[in-house]
Amino acid sequence: MTELKINGKNRLVDVESDTPLLWAIRDTVGLTGTKYGCGIQQCGACTVLIGKRPVRSCGITVGEVAGKDITTIEGLSEDSKHPVQLAWIEEQVPQCGYCQSGQIMAAVSLLERKPNPTDQEIDRGMLNLCRCGTYPRVRKAIHRASDLLKEVS
Amino acid sequence: MKNTNMNRRTFLKVTTVAGGGLLVGCSFSSPKLLSTPQASEEELGMWIRISTDNKITLIVPSSEMGQQAHTGQAMLVAEELEADWNSIKVVTAQVHPEYMISGDQDTGGSGSIRDWWDKLRQVGAGTREMLITAAARKWGVPVTECQAVNGRIQHTASGRSLSYGQLASAATKLSPPDSPTLKTPDQYRLLGKSLPKIHTPTKVNGVAEFGIDVRRPGMLFAAVSQSPVFGGQVKSYDEAAAKAVKGVEAVVPIPNGVAVVADSTWHAKQGLEALKPQFEGGDSAGLDSAKVTARLSTALDELGKVEVTAEKVLDVEYEMPYLHHATMEPMNCTAHVSTDSCKIWVPTQSQTETLKAAMEVTGFSEDQIQIHTTLLGGGFGRRLLPDFVTQAVTVSKVLQKPVQVVWSREEDTQHGYYRPTSMSRFQVGLGGDSKPVQWENQVAQPNFLAQIVPPLDWFNFDPLAVVASVHDYTIFPKHFYKVEGVEMTHTGVEFGVPVGPWRSPPNSLNVFYTESVMDELAHLAEIDPLDYRLKFLGESPKHRSVLEQVAKQAGWGNPLPEGHGHGIAINDWFGLDEDTSVVAEVAEVSVSKRGKLKVHRVDCVIDCGFAVNPDSVKAQLEGSIVMGMSAALFEQITLDDGRIAESNFDDYRIARLRDTPEINVSIVKSDENPTGAGEPGISPIVPAITNAIFAITGKRLRRMPIGRQKLV
Repeated sequence: MTELKINGKNRLVDVESDTPLLWAIRDTVGLTGTKYGCGIQQCGACTVLIGKRPVRSCGITVGEVAGKDITTIEGLSEDSKHPVQLAWIEEQVPQCGYCQSGQIMAAVSLLERKPNPTDQEIDRGMLNLCRCGTYPRVRKAIHRASDLLKEVS
Repeated sequence: MKNTNMNRRTFLKVTTVAGGGLLVGCSFSSPKLLSTPQASEEELGMWIRISTDNKITLIVPSSEMGQQAHTGQAMLVAEELEADWNSIKVVTAQVHPEYMISGDQDTGGSGSIRDWWDKLRQVGAGTREMLITAAARKWGVPVTECQAVNGRIQHTASGRSLSYGQLASAATKLSPPDSPTLKTPDQYRLLGKSLPKIHTPTKVNGVAEFGIDVRRPGMLFAAVSQSPVFGGQVKSYDEAAAKAVKGVEAVVPIPNGVAVVADSTWHAKQGLEALKPQFEGGDSAGLDSAKVTARLSTALDELGKVEVTAEKVLDVEYEMPYLHHATMEPMNCTAHVSTDSCKIWVPTQSQTETLKAAMEVTGFSEDQIQIHTTLLGGGFGRRLLPDFVTQAVTVSKVLQKPVQVVWSREEDTQHGYYRPTSMSRFQVGLGGDSKPVQWENQVAQPNFLAQIVPPLDWFNFDPLAVVASVHDYTIFPKHFYKVEGVEMTHTGVEFGVPVGPWRSPPNSLNVFYTESVMDELAHLAEIDPLDYRLKFLGESPKHRSVLEQVAKQAGWGNPLPEGHGHGIAINDWFGLDEDTSVVAEVAEVSVSKRGKLKVHRVDCVIDCGFAVNPDSVKAQLEGSIVMGMSAALFEQITLDDGRIAESNFDDYRIARLRDTPEINVSIVKSDENPTGAGEPGISPIVPAITNAIFAITGKRLRRMPIGRQKLV
């Protein structure tokens, strides 16, 4: 048994401590918004936040994150009104949508570090893969989210 | 706008749902199909379900894989239905003949709007007319005084109105119209507008359900391993070791492989690791990429080289690699087989193939099998194949429990149905007017249609070698470039490596060839590549205008920074249709002094007839350009010792955000019928990039991908 703090709630999960966080989130906790894409931390579909840091949950074990603050896409906002989600809707980013949970979590973290990112900083910070090719809109949406975040604060 | 399918009448059939709602079904060809007394309410609500609380569910024929078929098809119905767009929910239909075109229910060929343009509007219009009639009778006024507006029928003179939910029950008692009147374009309220995509809200909060997200009570998780050599068999495995892993419940053989079933994905994966399956034999045993290239080359030689005599002669060979679809969601399927039924939840592009696969494994009849299509995490043609369905149904049949099979990325990469590799030789002689007097072309490639249509193998005929090529086959329409002296031959080469449709099957190969060769000829003739192409488009005004428009948009001929160059290319899709989408692209590329390549900007113009949702069309073009660029820059599947050498995104590299150029898409305003937007844009970007590299460096790239080839 390990206690995970996911989206502000403590969850007791009955998995071995070497289980990748991704599978505990999806199969045990039942939050399926975090996706499996590659299992080797290449694609970013499984990105969650540990504290404010973006982490590829396929490459970290339950034991390593016990007691830490984990945020998944489901915990980003109650009502899909996080500025990054709003920007994603405004720019109509998703196509198939499978990678978008990871893209959004990566973007949230990038904007924490760089509230006003340049195109180059977005290029360097956003390494998540998208096969549909939504990248031009991801770029636009991050700039838009940056503006929205400023309006909020 | 033409209504090409109006001769095929739509017969509507309606009934009341329990609680008083309206169910609308219809038959396009036979009024009998839905008028059987045994037809269930489910069957009758095949297209539209209106509940008394005004919720409208549209059941659409196409799978949603990111191309926004759900949004577009819902717009077609909702426009004519005059529905409140905000009250609409969309689901993909169960398998049924009503949703089939030419006997198949599948999503591909950029056809979701093109093929359903008339039919879905008729379904909406017929239902609207019934709701109007129901209201008119209730009020005792002529139907001509009533109007459908945003989910309500209004009688303007008296100021009365009723909602669709209030009228649904009465509407079911009416005879449906045979030939409902469709709106004229000036009456459109939704069509032609960039409405937000219907699934966007659930795709930004993790709620959207893909195949891998399906959860059923008591469901088990399976991990699979298939023979790395194609067609090989399992030789041995350590079942006891697998079963010793916590949570592992069973080891079940599947075609060419084995599945480990457990209480979680992770336990299944660990069980598979402990199982250590060994394999033997297989069709591709001993094959490597050098042998593939050598055999293609030999096949070209066997077709015979031709003597070309002209003042200026081009004599070149091109080669394209196998490519993988690499959908972000790996192949998966959930099945629950019991003694007399089989339920399937699957991200599939082909409900027909899913049904066939399930029938074959279970021996059940069609009516014992239910197929629920989830959202697809990418398709691109890979999900037209049902191999993963066969696996899930096989395992569930043994265990009689719900089982979800999810492939690892490694299985997914090494067990694809790849875009065929191909080699093409061109010998072209130019005459005094700089146009070809002789155009000899030989092609050697695996013939994937022959897997589906065996006679193509007997006649060694591959339509995919021909379509989108400049050819002299009389059974196919001519290429849009009108060229004299063409002689084309081709041959199939079988390697035992599965091949299949990859986003625009013939064009993804042939447009690279044709548009590279046109560029080579322009250079040989010392004519600007745009001007040279225009010489061959005298009979193709649509192509001419799209090409000219993209050149203008990109600033073709204007000076560029040092080390930058423009490349241009054009494509149409699908070459066998009377009306095709035409798309042209210009890439602005730079090559540094050290040979570093960057794609800076891509301009794109498409004429795809009437754009039902312009923003969706734009998104498809942007995505196609990124995916095509990715293939050009990085992608190839190679073989080593009979197996695929690549295994994951670390060695099958695809484009990232940092590789992505500025993309400007323009849509030609048109009132012609829609012709498709999902595929046309992917092919021209490849030659547009390589033609730009030539313009900068003088180096012609005749083998893809560009990869690490030296550019300077």
